[in-house]
Amino acid sequence: MSAVAEAVAEGKLPGRVWMYADYHCNLACTYCLTESAPKAPRRVIGRERMLEIAGEAAELGFTDLGVTGGEPFLLRWLPEALAEMSERLPVLVLTNGTLFTRRRLAELAPLVQRDVAMQISLDRPDPDDNDEMRGPENFRKVVDAVPKLVDKGIKVRIATTVESIEDAELDRLCALHRELGVPDEDHIVRPIVRRGRALDHDLGVVAHQVDVPAELTVTVDGAFWSPFGPTVHDGVVDTDLLITRTTRPLSTAANAMLRLTGELPEGDDVALNIR
Amino acid sequence: MATVRLLDAEQAPLLARPFYAKGDPGPIVASLAQVPELLETAMPFISTALGPSAISWRDKELVIVRTSAVLECSYCVATHTAVALDAGLSHQEVRALRGEEDIASAFRDPRELALLAWVGELAGGRGSVPAAVRDGLHAHWEDHEVVELTVVVGATMLLNRLATGLELPVSAGTERRLAAEGLR
Ligand code: SF4
Repeated sequence: MSAVAEAVAEGKLPGRVWMYADYHCNLACTYCLTESAPKAPRRVIGRERMLEIAGEAAELGFTDLGVTGGEPFLLRWLPEALAEMSERLPVLVLTNGTLFTRRRLAELAPLVQRDVAMQISLDRPDPDDNDEMRGPENFRKVVDAVPKLVDKGIKVRIATTVESIEDAELDRLCALHRELGVPDEDHIVRPIVRRGRALDHDLGVVAHQVDVPAELTVTVDGAFWSPFGPTVHDGVVDTDLLITRTTRPLSTAANAMLRLTGELPEGDDVALNIR
Repeated sequence: MATVRLLDAEQAPLLARPFYAKGDPGPIVASLAQVPELLETAMPFISTALGPSAISWRDKELVIVRTSAVLECSYCVATHTAVALDAGLSHQEVRALRGEEDIASAFRDPRELALLAWVGELAGGRGSVPAAVRDGLHAHWEDHEVVELTVVVGATMLLNRLATGLELPVSAGTERRLAAEGLR
């Protein structure tokens, strides 16, 4: 058993390896950690590299894969790549859920019956409130897409990212996601993290290394402590949660990560419920 | 201004953080921090090669300042001029090492003269060190010392090229010290 597999089995290391598919996005949310926007530098990691990481992660003993961005579905080859990756390990892909026109939905055919779940952002139960930070039409497009994805047999999770939310508003949001076909166990609520554009807007909670789970995250720039690591501010990728620039072989980064997790004080980490 | 971003403590990568624990670690660490796995292995090597060892502090600074002068590394010459003064070298000796005065008039000890002739060839020459210079060194220095001195020259050259290639800035403190000593 590899050191990674052992650490994962013992619960010392979360089993998911994340990768940043890209950094550009069709939206430009106020709290975006990566300053993503349609014209942001793309930093695409590439289909071959994603498959390679999936294979290496499985061999090292990781149990799950995560794909984030930017908006990963701007990459037209993504569905096929996700399907192929899921042959190695289950995949969770984060998306804003606004690109799924009828044609794009048809392009998701490779994902049907695969171990690929989508996590879609939906912050508020009212269109205007939701779209204030995420941009016009966001709410309508998400609410339109989710049931269609569920109908296709694709597992959908809803992620709500907020500074704070009143109970009554959260109740209405939960009623909405249930109505869209997403059960309570697939809804997560998390705080805005004060990095990227959130920093400029004075939003969110400051997150240090101990506040975020140690989930190995690979980007074109290197390997990071968590998907909250390779954020962008003033156009520059943050390095405070960088582990190594070397990501090939993945074991270099994974072993450094293991060493770092061993150095953390014992206790109730991930205190901010950031995930 | 350096040609690359020098990482401050706030942006120090996880493996680089220990190097920032005592405050500003200087531009060599702040540049190498861009590649933490390299920093993590390079710094212990550099510290061992250039730090306290069987070779005396004075002898090490002779080698480091002379090598840096031969390679025309303004960062390392400035930084190690200050260190050489701390190690007890005279102004005249430092000037000679920097190529501003005649080495033969500043140094009299045959052991040091043999060392400096050899450093000049190893750091500045091409191919093998001429036999006479090599034999001159071995006449005064033990094998283990020759090995270590060779590594000191090599490590200094690595830093010379790093500092020159990345245009690392000399610290304000060093600039002030050299100005006060009349050695800028
Ligand atoms: S938060 Fe997500 S959807 Fe919004 S701009 Fe950033 S990457 Fe795009």
